[in-house]
Amino acid sequence: MRSRAGLALLALAVFCTALAPLLRWYAYPRLARIPPGQYQAVVLEARDATLLDYTGGMQPRKVDKVTIVQTLKGDVEAARRASAETGRDVVVWDTLTHIAGPDGRMVSQIPERYVFDAHTQEPVHAAGESVDGDPVRREGIEFKWPFAAEPRDHLYFDAQTRTSSPVHYLGPRTFRGMDVHYYEQTVPWTKVPLPKRMPIEGIDPATFEQTTGTSLWYKAKAMFWVDPVTGAPVNAEQVIEQEMRGGIAAGAPEGRLTVFAGHVRMREDYSRHTVALVAANRWKVLVLRTHAPAGLAAAGLVLLGAALWREARGRQAQARRVTA
Amino acid sequence: MRALLAAAVGLAAAVALVLAVTALGTPGGRTSPHPLLTSAPAAPGQP
Repeated sequence: MRSRAGLALLALAVFCTALAPLLRWYAYPRLARIPPGQYQAVVLEARDATLLDYTGGMQPRKVDKVTIVQTLKGDVEAARRASAETGRDVVVWDTLTHIAGPDGRMVSQIPERYVFDAHTQEPVHAAGESVDGDPVRREGIEFKWPFAAEPRDHLYFDAQTRTSSPVHYLGPRTFRGMDVHYYEQTVPWTKVPLPKRMPIEGIDPATFEQTTGTSLWYKAKAMFWVDPVTGAPVNAEQVIEQEMRGGIAAGAPEGRLTVFAGHVRMREDYSRHTVALVAANRWKVLVLRTHAPAGLAAAGLVLLGAALWREARGRQAQARRVTA
Repeated sequence: MRALLAAAVGLAAAVALVLAVTALGTPGGRTSPHPLLTSAPAAPGQP
């Protein structure tokens, strides 16, 4: 190769061709991560739900709406400490699930601390992971699937039961124009701890069962529509039943007193907002994982062709000069 | 020889760029000053 232009084109061709796989298999796994300082709120609603009226005779009543406000907030300082302690890139989320009745008054609150790997979403057992103040040791995922979510069953942590069980992949779906994976998890009737925050004062969740003979039971079917690129759910619904058994529920039909029964769905405006947010993040991930490597590889081939063409033309011109 | 050198320059530049970008990483950010919510916001993005 003789001309400067040809050499420059060749250098650029090698640059682009080498950058493509480096971006895809070296940079992408290191750069695709959950930011440690994320803050996000989601509002969900259960219309025409059944809710135990604690102050009106402890009877289940039909209500127009139960609202669930779920906030998550990344603790950057705790993440830094946990990363130093474990040698992994860690994210620490503090979340609060606040449940309010139709009058806006608090029904229950469950705080959680969720600690996980920023790249793989695997749980990390550090920084005081907990549910409602109780230490837990999570297995599987919670809130979010890994990047490039696979169409298979995963283990999913359920905060009410403090246990993990499979969330089954049930096939592709389209949600608001987005191609997503659909997963379902069924939690059978399970005895669960009483939340530490209750709508009435004077209940000690630690001794409630011992002193009254009453236990709290829960079953749920959770549905998730997950963007396969980012692993972020674009929609989630839950059909939940919660009831007290024995003790103060002994007088109820079959000794069961419904505490809550309803179908929880994302509020319409939050559903639209979540889809828009995920679509924006999906584009960023796709650029890094697919579009940029593919574009660079194509550009590398074009530049290599241009370098060879330039060289061939240079040699032809020189041959003509020699023969003339 | 010059072609080989040009290819080596291109390769070295690609490796250096990727190493520099991944070493810089993504911004660390900071903890949000907004509280964990105990009431439903009127609209998304309003804490």
